[in-house]
Amino acid sequence: MASRANKMRPIRRPIMNREASEFEPCWILLRDALTDIHTKNAGRLSFEQLYRASYKIVLRKKGELLYDKVRTFEEEWFRDHIMPPISELITNTLVSVALFHPPASSMHERRQMSEKFLRGIRDSWEEHNMSMNMIADILMYLDRAYTAESKKPSIFATTIGLFRDHILRNSLGAVAQDFDQPYIVFDLLTAVTLDLINMERDGDIIDRSLLLKITSMLEDLYETDEEIDNQKLYTTIFEPKYIDNSRVFYRMECERLLRESNASTWLRHAQRRLNEEQDRCDTTLSISTADKIAKVVETELVSAKLDEFLALDGTGLKSMIDNDRIDDLTILYSLISRVDKTKHVLKNTLQTRVMELGLEIEQALKRTDFSAPVTVAGAADGDEAMEGGDKSKVQTLSAAAQQTAAAIKWVDDVLQLKDKFDTLWSTCFNQDLVLQSAVTKSFSEFINMFARSSEYVSLFIDDNLKRGIKGKTEDEVDIVLDKAIVLLRYLTDRDMFERYYQKHLARRLLHGKSEIHIEKEMVYRMKSEMGNHFTIKFEGMFKDMELSRDLTDNYRDHIRNLGDTDTRKVDLNINVLTTNNWPPEVMGRGSSQEEGAKMECIYPSAIKRLQESFFKYYLKDRSGRVLTWVSSAGTADIKCVFPKIPGKETGPLSKERRYELNVSTYGMIVLMLFNDLPVGESLGFEELQAKTNIPAPDLIRTLASLSVAPKARVLLKDPLTKNVKTTDKFSYNAQFVSKAIKIKAPTISNLSKVEGDDERKETEKKNDQTRAHVVDAAIVRIMKQRKQLTHTQLITEVITQLANRFKPEIPLIKKRIEDLLGREYLERVEGEASSYRYLA
Amino acid sequence: MAANRDEPSKYVTLISNDGFEFVLLREATVVSPTIKAMLRDGRQWREATTGRCEFPDISGAVLEKVVEYFQYWYKNRDKLDVPDMDIPVEICLELLVAADYLGLDSKPPLPSHGA
Repeated sequence: MASRANKMRPIRRPIMNREASEFEPCWILLRDALTDIHTKNAGRLSFEQLYRASYKIVLRKKGELLYDKVRTFEEEWFRDHIMPPISELITNTLVSVALFHPPASSMHERRQMSEKFLRGIRDSWEEHNMSMNMIADILMYLDRAYTAESKKPSIFATTIGLFRDHILRNSLGAVAQDFDQPYIVFDLLTAVTLDLINMERDGDIIDRSLLLKITSMLEDLYETDEEIDNQKLYTTIFEPKYIDNSRVFYRMECERLLRESNASTWLRHAQRRLNEEQDRCDTTLSISTADKIAKVVETELVSAKLDEFLALDGTGLKSMIDNDRIDDLTILYSLISRVDKTKHVLKNTLQTRVMELGLEIEQALKRTDFSAPVTVAGAADGDEAMEGGDKSKVQTLSAAAQQTAAAIKWVDDVLQLKDKFDTLWSTCFNQDLVLQSAVTKSFSEFINMFARSSEYVSLFIDDNLKRGIKGKTEDEVDIVLDKAIVLLRYLTDRDMFERYYQKHLARRLLHGKSEIHIEKEMVYRMKSEMGNHFTIKFEGMFKDMELSRDLTDNYRDHIRNLGDTDTRKVDLNINVLTTNNWPPEVMGRGSSQEEGAKMECIYPSAIKRLQESFFKYYLKDRSGRVLTWVSSAGTADIKCVFPKIPGKETGPLSKERRYELNVSTYGMIVLMLFNDLPVGESLGFEELQAKTNIPAPDLIRTLASLSVAPKARVLLKDPLTKNVKTTDKFSYNAQFVSKAIKIKAPTISNLSKVEGDDERKETEKKNDQTRAHVVDAAIVRIMKQRKQLTHTQLITEVITQLANRFKPEIPLIKKRIEDLLGREYLERVEGEASSYRYLA
Repeated sequence: MAANRDEPSKYVTLISNDGFEFVLLREATVVSPTIKAMLRDGRQWREATTGRCEFPDISGAVLEKVVEYFQYWYKNRDKLDVPDMDIPVEICLELLVAADYLGLDSKPPLPSHGA
């Protein structure tokens, strides 16, 4: 080796010498310039001259020498001029305050000291950075020709890195000797910076731009001189510490809030913190941290104690919902959306709350004083019977109305609840679909848990159409109808509703209690909501009404043409009802009458004649039809004359009184009997029943309306009690006085009211029967199409088919399948455990 | 550009070793990293303050061609399919040296450090 090197020497030496001689003056020029740059005297220097000097050195292959010399020069400069002032800044107090937070240090003092230290670092960094940039510029050719080829870090990277190696990574020196851990200046810098940030979080004002300078310095410095992209000091050292520090800070803050504060404050606080941290990343730190720190706040401040906060009494989610705290809920929604995409907690609480409030409505109904008639109360829940028991005796008459009021109240309350949650949903929850379906589900659940919901909804519509509509504008009517439809949507047992609605609609139509075009509008809406099959019967009822009106008119014409005016002026207004469309109760086929009351009641002869005349007329065009008179559904207007009472010279009794009395058909029949009765005689209940053949319960009601209610007491009852008993006797009340000419006898049976429990069981029983048929039909329909199906498939199909009418119970379907097997509509497939085949 | 706000002149003067002066748009010269660093705002080199850059190693004939190139680059900097520049064979070598000196080789311009 040595000999070889010697061999080369003779050729190289002279060149080396020449080059060496040129190197010195150039280096001296550059060295002086470096000094000038550091002392900020560069203004007189010519860039071109310096650049040319380094250019020449590099051309002479002395790049390495220059590189090393510059490096050495900078290291020396650094040691002599830059480090001493920094070391001075690092005082004992600063170190102990920053790293160990002695309790004695005041915030103000700490901030002053910290900022002074940071300012020192910043100033020296800025100077260094500036100088290194200038030096890198004049040594540009060195980087281009030498550094890049020799795979060394650029001269800038090397010299800027001095700051990292000699300042940030310098140990704290003498002041930190007592500590067990080898702290470096970087630790101090981080600690101080984080301390300042925490001060700002606590509401202090700090020098944000100073901190920004420090963090951007950390972003400009890399772990090594290679300057690998993801190895910035900011990312490797500072950011993780910042995140840790923030985590601790927010964890403590969250716990403190939970201890000392309420959910409302917490929400606002968390939201403010999130904004603050975003802002801090924009102005003080680096944008790259924004997502990470947001995550920390979300985890520590929002998610960590979310359940606890929401469960807080008085301010938690429950009270937010109950008190419509729109702002709170809006914030809560935005926070929860951040931390949990499924919004699990919010969803569950909303659902529970809807259920609770829904059940509360039911409880409230029971508590409210709708003292029910004994029959109802006795059969209803125990406590209701206890409470309502005493009063029901006093207020029997208005009880039915009160019960109806309860139904209306229930519906109103439910609608109110619905409105409330709708408002929350649209204003606070950004119309979130997940939440909507959750809430809808809960509504549906509690509404259907309440056994009487179908009935109550129908009653609500009944009440509104009967009383409410008159005097309301189109829009108001619209709103009512809309509300009704909203509720309808929740009902699963729609066939129950159909049954009730049919009943109520029948009453309204027969007694002319509502306006036909609104009725039609309502039915039309139901049709578009639930489909055709749902409203077929209702539409049939409308049609019957129309046909009947024509029929009545035609019959009148017919009578007039006959010229037969002899019939004591009985004017007939008839409704011919198609059996299938109308509820059995109205048609007189109700089961309560089934036992003994198939027989017709005995009409007065005048009426009888009229009936025959009409029947003859009716069959003229429609031979083969059967008309049954439904006496329980009709009404009659009777003109009656009460003669002057002898001996009374003054007052209303002194004159002859004429009244027009509107009573039920039964009432008419009963009153006609008294027409023929001599004055002063009376008829017993049993006598009346024998003469009229009116079923006993109906007769009781009829007599009650004519002899008990003071408004229309045209009969006198003996004894004078409030209840009609089978032993009572009745006589003509010659002293009857009324201020009104037209009197409507209170028709007790006509009132739409909540059914008694027995009645309701009856309705349910009937409904179950209907359901059985509907299920039968569905099974046959499906099997006819599919020919062969397994048991499970069939059940699923049946449920799907019937979903918008009601929710069939599995045992019911099973029973129906058994039945159809028995009737040989289906057969089991041999060999396969549970499959059925359709038998044509 | 911040540079133009402080510097009243949009032009700079390039001076050759034999005293030829070429005045051209400052923006046209930034294609050379060397001149760019020389004139960089905030560094306060003599060239930046006076707006005059002397090149003791470059002759007038060569500098003229360099300036022509600056103009050529400036004019065509956003265009495609531009005509080639005419380079006289006599000054080829000298021009190459000057181009190297001015950092006008095909390498991408060096990253400028810091602010």
